[in-house]
Amino acid sequence: MASLRTTRRDSRLLRYLILGTWALVCLVPVAWFLSIGLRPRVEIITPRPIYWPTFSLDAWHMIWEDWPMARYLRNSVAAIFGSVLIDLVLAIPAAYSLARYQYRGRDDIAFYILSTRMMAPAIVAIPIFFLFRSLGLLDTVWALMIVYAAINLSLVTWIIRSYMLDIPKELEDAARTDGASDLRILWEVIVPAIRPGIITASVIAMIFAINEFLFTLLIASTPNAYTMSVALANFTGGSDGVIYNAIALVAFLAFLPVFLVVLLIQRHLSRGLTMGAVKG
Amino acid sequence: MTESPVPAGAERSAPARPAQGRYRRRSRRLRVLFPYLLVAPAVIYLLLITLYPGIFALVQSFHAVKFGPWTYVGLANYERLLADPQFWGALWNTFVIGAISLALQCVIALALAYHAYRDPWVRGWRIIFLVPMLFMPSAVAFLFKLAFLDARVVSDILIRLGLIEQNLSIQSSVWMSRAVLILADVWQWTPFLFIIFVAALQGQDEEIEEAARLDGASWFQVFWNVSLPLMRPVIAVALTLRAIDITTMFANVFIITKGGPAFGTETISYFVYRTGFKFFNFGYASAASVVMLVLTIVIAQTVVKRAFRSARS
Repeated sequence: MASLRTTRRDSRLLRYLILGTWALVCLVPVAWFLSIGLRPRVEIITPRPIYWPTFSLDAWHMIWEDWPMARYLRNSVAAIFGSVLIDLVLAIPAAYSLARYQYRGRDDIAFYILSTRMMAPAIVAIPIFFLFRSLGLLDTVWALMIVYAAINLSLVTWIIRSYMLDIPKELEDAARTDGASDLRILWEVIVPAIRPGIITASVIAMIFAINEFLFTLLIASTPNAYTMSVALANFTGGSDGVIYNAIALVAFLAFLPVFLVVLLIQRHLSRGLTMGAVKG
Repeated sequence: MTESPVPAGAERSAPARPAQGRYRRRSRRLRVLFPYLLVAPAVIYLLLITLYPGIFALVQSFHAVKFGPWTYVGLANYERLLADPQFWGALWNTFVIGAISLALQCVIALALAYHAYRDPWVRGWRIIFLVPMLFMPSAVAFLFKLAFLDARVVSDILIRLGLIEQNLSIQSSVWMSRAVLILADVWQWTPFLFIIFVAALQGQDEEIEEAARLDGASWFQVFWNVSLPLMRPVIAVALTLRAIDITTMFANVFIITKGGPAFGTETISYFVYRTGFKFFNFGYASAASVVMLVLTIVIAQTVVKRAFRSARS
C-alpha cells in the first residue's frame, strides 16, 4: 500500500515537472519579448545581452508618432472584419446545403471546398498579383479582404457544416409543418441554433487573417494597405537595422484582443481548429 | 443516396401543398436546384481564386515573362526547373524541416496531453500553452531572430551554463539555421496539436479506461494500448492540417534566414517568391507553382481525403 502511494506521488511530481517545464518554455520567451518592447533601443542589441533593462516607453511613442500605426490598425481591422463577413454570407448557405440536402456531387463539392485549404499561398500568389494589378486593386484593403475571405472560406464552411449536422431534425420539422420556407428555416431556426459554431468559425478565421503574411506582403506595397503583420517586417531604419522594441510592442498589441476572444470560445477551439472533424 | 434533394422532414409536408400544375412544376425544378443554388456562391468564389490562378500559372509557365511581353518558350521553363539544383534543394529543405518539426510537435503534444487531460488544472494548462500560438507568425519570427541571431541571448545563456565556449555561429551553419526554423515552428504550433489531443482524450469513453484500469493496467498502458489507437483518426486530421501549414512555411524563412546559408533553408514557397518577385522571372516561378499544384492535388486526393473521412465516421 505504502509503495503504491509513493509511486502515485512520484508520478504526480513527474507530471507537474513536465507540464511546468513546458509552461516555462511558453512563457519565458514571451516575458522576455515584452521586456524588449519596454526598453530603449540601445539596450536591445549589445555585446552582452542585458537582462534587466531600463524601463522605457520609447517604442510606444515611436509606433504612434513615427509610423502610421493607427492606419495599420485600421487596415487590419477593416480587412479582417470584411473578410469574415464575406465568409459568413457565403458559408452559411453553402454549409446548410452540404449538411441538410442529398444531391448528386454533394460530397465532391464538400471536398473541393476543403481542398482549397491546402493550396500553398505561393502557388496562387503570382496569378493573384497579376489579377489584382489589372483590376487596379493592388495596394488596397479591398484586395486583402478578398484574399483573406478566400483563404478562410473552406474552414468557415466546414466548421459551420459540422455544427449544423448536430442539430436534431425535429427542430426544422416543426417549422416546416408550419409552412415556413427553407430559407426562412435557415435564417430563423438554424442560424440561431448554431450561434456557437458561427462564433467559433469567425474567431478562427480572424486569427488566420491576422496571421496572413505572404499575400499581404505582395499586395500591400506601401503603408496604404499595410496590416500589422506586414508592418512588422518594415520596422527598420537607422544604423541598427530592425527596430525590435517597436516590433515587440505591436506583437503584444495584436496578441491581446486575440487572446481575449479565444478565451471566450475555449470550449469550441479544438473543434474549430480541425475544421469540425473533432468534437471537443 | 436518393437523387431528389428532399430536405429532411419535407416528405410529410409536401403533399399538403396546393396542387396547382404550373406552380408545382416550377417549384419542383426549383427544389431540385435549390441546394446547388445555396452552395454555388461559395464554390464560384473559390473557383475564381483557385482555378483561375491555376490556369493562369499553367499558361504563364509556357512563357518567358520579364517585365515586358510574354514570349512563348514551350516546355523550356520545366526543363530548366527539373535540372535546377535549387528547386530540388528547396523541395528537400521543405521536407526535412517539415518532417522533423512535425515529429517533434506530435511527440511533445502527445506527452503534454497525456499528462494534462486528467489534471484538475487542465483549463489553466491549456490557456498557458495556447499563448505562443496566438502571436502573429511574423512576430514570432522576429522573436527567434532576435534571440538566436541578433542579440545572441541563447548563446549567452548556454555560455553562462557552461555548455558552450563561445557564441554559436548560426548564420554560417545550414543545420543550425534549420534548427532555428524548426524550433520556432515547434514553439508556436505545438499548442495546436495539444489542444486537439486533449479534447480527444477528454472526449473518450471513461468506461473503457476504467475497465482497463480494473484489469490492472497502468495509466500509461491504458494510454498506449487503448486511448492512442482510438485517437488515430483525430491524430491523422491534426497532423494533416499541420503538415499543410508547415510545407507552406514562408514568414519564418523570409524574416529569419532569407533561405540562407547557401540556400540551405530555402523552402519551396520561398523559392517561388524569390524567382518571381525578386528576380521577376514570372514564367519560371509559375512552372514551379504548377509542379507544386500537381503535388498538392495528388496529396489532397489521397492522404487528406482519407484522414477527414475516417475522422467523421
